[in-house]
Amino acid sequence: MEQIIQVTILGIGLGGVFALMGSGLSLVFGVMRIVNLAHPSLIIAGAFTAYWGFRLWGIDPLVMLPVATVLLAAIGVLLYKVFFERNAKSATYSEMTVLLTFAIAMIIEGALGAMFSNTQRVTSPSYATDAFFIGNVFIPKGQLYAGLVSMLIIGLLAAFLKYSRLGYAIRATTQNRDAAALLGVNVNMVGLMSFAIGIGLAGAAGALTSFVFSFFPAKHWEWIAVLMSLVVMGGMGSIVGTVIASFGLSIIAAFVGAYVGSTWSTMTFFLALFLVLLFRPQGLFGEKPELL
Amino acid sequence: MESQMIKSTSGDVLSARAAHNERLARRADKTRALWFPLAILVLLLALPLLQFVGNYNYMLHLVLLTASYVAMAAGWNILGGFAGYVSLGHNVFFAIGGYFAGMILARFGISAIIMAPVAGLVAAAFGYAIGLITLRVRGPAFIISSIAMVMIARLLFDNWHFVGGANGVTLPAPNLSSQWAKLPYYYAMLAIAALTVWSSYRIKHSKFGLGLRAISKDEIKAESAGIDTRFYKVTAFAISAFFIGMTGAVWGEYLTYIRPSIFLVILIAANMVLMCILGGKGTVAGPVIGAVLLVAFNEFFVAMMGASELNILGTGLIMAVMLMFFPLGIVGTLALKGRLPRILNWD
Repeated sequence: MEQIIQVTILGIGLGGVFALMGSGLSLVFGVMRIVNLAHPSLIIAGAFTAYWGFRLWGIDPLVMLPVATVLLAAIGVLLYKVFFERNAKSATYSEMTVLLTFAIAMIIEGALGAMFSNTQRVTSPSYATDAFFIGNVFIPKGQLYAGLVSMLIIGLLAAFLKYSRLGYAIRATTQNRDAAALLGVNVNMVGLMSFAIGIGLAGAAGALTSFVFSFFPAKHWEWIAVLMSLVVMGGMGSIVGTVIASFGLSIIAAFVGAYVGSTWSTMTFFLALFLVLLFRPQGLFGEKPELL
Repeated sequence: MESQMIKSTSGDVLSARAAHNERLARRADKTRALWFPLAILVLLLALPLLQFVGNYNYMLHLVLLTASYVAMAAGWNILGGFAGYVSLGHNVFFAIGGYFAGMILARFGISAIIMAPVAGLVAAAFGYAIGLITLRVRGPAFIISSIAMVMIARLLFDNWHFVGGANGVTLPAPNLSSQWAKLPYYYAMLAIAALTVWSSYRIKHSKFGLGLRAISKDEIKAESAGIDTRFYKVTAFAISAFFIGMTGAVWGEYLTYIRPSIFLVILIAANMVLMCILGGKGTVAGPVIGAVLLVAFNEFFVAMMGASELNILGTGLIMAVMLMFFPLGIVGTLALKGRLPRILNWD
């Protein structure tokens, strides 16, 4: 029993971080219909920001989080301006943007690798290796803090989407781009803003990741399929769905890791991705088959 | 009486159409410079003669590497170019071919060059089965599922003890002097590359290829026009896996070891895609030109900078520039402008 609680807690801890990683991806897809394969590499860029803040000046990664967010949001604006604005009317838009983001992922990986080399790194503030004990069950502090902060950020994002004017515009554009444009929403501006927010969320997720996982520039390939499984399962574009899928799959993965073998825990995500694509391509919470 | 008349007129129509098509084909043949690829092939077949006068192993290696990429890119092109299903996971079949032939070589000592067609068939069988599953979705969903395919394969091969896990298996090296050691693989790879390009030409000019092109333009219309799209797509997937599997078989023995980190890295899949985009997706000459250019570029980059990270950066940059400004690739863009030199018109 104790072990079951323990495994569940570890799964929830991971789920919190994955939820933040996936929600930015989901937002970008919802508004722009871009499957952003570069998202994990941007998360790594955010992790490097937090890492160097801690290494050089001893700034806590949680304090570096806003810095990483703003920095990555600026990179997002740049990427949008350079790569995506001009292609919005192309006929093979969705397929082409996938390849384009794949190329961007390689560019970012190459740039990070050339600057910082491909060694394993982890930010190590004091809480990263510490834990709370309740009886025999332990809660790792790093994962707890990361999960709480990411829940806070997702809560803010949800409130922003629900109550602010830009949030209305973003949701309207997600639902129907043409209708939103007809009603006077500046869809290009909304696209730019949501792209910046989505990439900014990648930066925030990166800062949290930097003390939860060890990372190196080439690691983003391992995360692409994991994040895709969360977003596809949640229904592309649905942030609530992504969050639920993150917690659900992370808990299952934790159980697979504990009872089958730790090497197989990531298999949970890949198999889930395959099964969802096959049997319910619109995802658990998606309304219509977007990708078909 | 009446039905017989219809039969005879329809026969006339068919023969007239056949004659017309023949004329069109003859005219197309005149603008095509078939001698050019054949001349290159003959030149490359004679290239090892240089070994008599000096040591040109590096040059042979480069040609061999280019040939392997030509075979892989042209194989990928059958699915990604003709049918329009972009796969970022085709190195899985490279791995399947390499591992199948490599394990046979390690266990029974049968050379991978002899086993290459069998390895190709094994890869094609896997391709058929995987295609039945993943080709149910299209567009971005298919691309995502192809990446997941690589991840699953990597996890399986890394943890499969029979094939050595992450450390892989060392294969016996051939018993030849270093001067001639590369030759069997050189000729094998050249043969595979030539076969792949020739097959892709034949496929493009067949009814099957026409169906694939219809699928890439508009799958729903193709389906309603009576094309069995599912069978066509899955078959194209299996055929492209066949050629890539054969390449993997020879490549594994050439390297004398098989290991997940050689076959199942995403850069190889990215290279296949990039070569086709660079040269021109859906053309016969495109993958060949893309492969030659990319191998040359990589060698230049490694020689100049020496760092694989910059190599990844450069690959990404070329891919982004091509996608943004020349999505049709070199052959496609030139053909669109009517400036395609005759020697590059292989379609």
